[in-house]
Amino acid sequence: MKFYRITALLLKYYYISINRVDRLFDILYWPILDVLLWGFTSAFIKDISEVNILSMALGGVILWLFVWRSGQDIAVFILEDFWSRNLYHLFSSPVRLTEHILSILIWGVIRATVSFIFLSLLAYGLYAFNILTLPILFMASAIAILLLFGWAMGFFITGCIFRYGQRIQVLAWSVVWVIQPFSCVFYPLSALPAWAQPIAKILPTTHVFETLRSILFGYGEGNLLYALVATLVFMAVTSLFLLQSFKHAKRSGMFARHD
Amino acid sequence: MKDIVVKGLCKSFKSRGKTITAVDDVSFYVTKGEIFGFLGANGAGKSTTINILAGLLTQDKGTVKLCGKDPYKDWEYVKNRMNVSTAYFPLSDVLTVRQNLRVYAKIYGVKDVEAKINQLLEDFELTALGDKRVNRLSSGERTRTALCKGFINDPQLLLLDECTVGLDPDIAEKTRRLIKEYQKRTNCTILFTSHYMHEVEELCDRVAFMEEGKIVTIATVDELKKRVTKHKVELTLAENGDDLKDLLKEEGLTVLAGRDNTLIFEVDVASDDVNTIVQQLVKQGLNLKDIHIKKPTLDDIFIHFARRKK
Repeated sequence: MKFYRITALLLKYYYISINRVDRLFDILYWPILDVLLWGFTSAFIKDISEVNILSMALGGVILWLFVWRSGQDIAVFILEDFWSRNLYHLFSSPVRLTEHILSILIWGVIRATVSFIFLSLLAYGLYAFNILTLPILFMASAIAILLLFGWAMGFFITGCIFRYGQRIQVLAWSVVWVIQPFSCVFYPLSALPAWAQPIAKILPTTHVFETLRSILFGYGEGNLLYALVATLVFMAVTSLFLLQSFKHAKRSGMFARHD
Repeated sequence: MKDIVVKGLCKSFKSRGKTITAVDDVSFYVTKGEIFGFLGANGAGKSTTINILAGLLTQDKGTVKLCGKDPYKDWEYVKNRMNVSTAYFPLSDVLTVRQNLRVYAKIYGVKDVEAKINQLLEDFELTALGDKRVNRLSSGERTRTALCKGFINDPQLLLLDECTVGLDPDIAEKTRRLIKEYQKRTNCTILFTSHYMHEVEELCDRVAFMEEGKIVTIATVDELKKRVTKHKVELTLAENGDDLKDLLKEEGLTVLAGRDNTLIFEVDVASDDVNTIVQQLVKQGLNLKDIHIKKPTLDDIFIHFARRKK
């Protein structure tokens, strides 16, 4: 692995981000809408019922962006190369798959950090919600677990793209959102129907948000240690899947197809 | 020294339950400093072979050595010394020409990046378009941008897969000149495929003909021309040559075309003597104004191999 090749790829993602307004937009636009939507909804619920879900909702929105950004960025940047048929040049150059993926991960962390800082300031400015009042150990572990889980999702989606091509590109936008209802981001695990609870318990994300609720309200069934172990297992499995899919793509000629 | 050594290369693809053999037991070598042409009809296996050499495709069987090394074991060594260019895969269309070249220059660890980019843009007449996004370029300009990328690392081994498609004739001519000049200056090895036979004839030292995944022959262009013994003879007559057509047919010759005062027929130089044929025609009262014997070109050789297959 060569550092100068990773920085070259980071330069490419920087160029893509400054040349395409929509790439800049999704760092701030959708997260801001989420904060506004959940902030106003929480304020309304508090007005009519005196139940305060503001910190839970905003904490959920701000932390969820790590799963969203890290998972979606991998797939979207790989798709960007597919759309411009650029994988031909990339994989015939000295760039290795690990360098390619690592550069996307670094770029994803940069984008997620920008979104995180901006949303934290917005939540503080609009609703006086300070996410930094949460315990630092929880914040560090939650962000690490959510980032890693997002990457695992990203590896899965990328593996599918390498295997089946652009026809399954809808996965890039949908997988993270399919997982969200089972991750109990905005409501407790007990609020899920009985059939959905076992699925939710398997997901590391559920345990992170349950722990968040236990810190904020004193109830929740989160187990961060399980979440970390499960995330590492997901990472290992999806990394293997990605590697096998890359080999499959090289056997099938996916990177050298004209269409 | 050989920069490309390919032995027993095989590659097949599965499509809808059927196995399609794209490359079937292909072996060849290219010596250092040689421009080696790959010819064949669409689907003959040229691009598949190049994609395997470029590391984009894994072969089912066979071995490949590039720059004297196994590309799988000595990835860094081989990949940094080679490059690929094709008209079919433009660079990232979201980036400008300069941004694309800067990224690839850095990927290949080029030392003086901006100087190298400026020189390539000037060579390929792209200086004015340097800050334009690739998606705003014409197809010929995109092709030239991809060619710039192909030369960005001063490669020792260059794979050019139909790299002049879509270029205007003057730019295509300049591109061929640049390829030749670069090859002479650096003694680089080039594997070149094209559908334009005159390009192959102009550039290549040796040529391989591929047919249904197999190499059917490897030879120099001159050697290949010698194998095609059928030459075209074009006669310009003082009067209408309709009567002459029957006469030539009686002599067992194939008339290819005849209109007004012009007549084109085919002779096999291995068995026929053009002088004798013409003398006989003159004796029989032929009033000949001009005669032109066309030696076979690579186009004729291409057609010869295609006909042979049929």
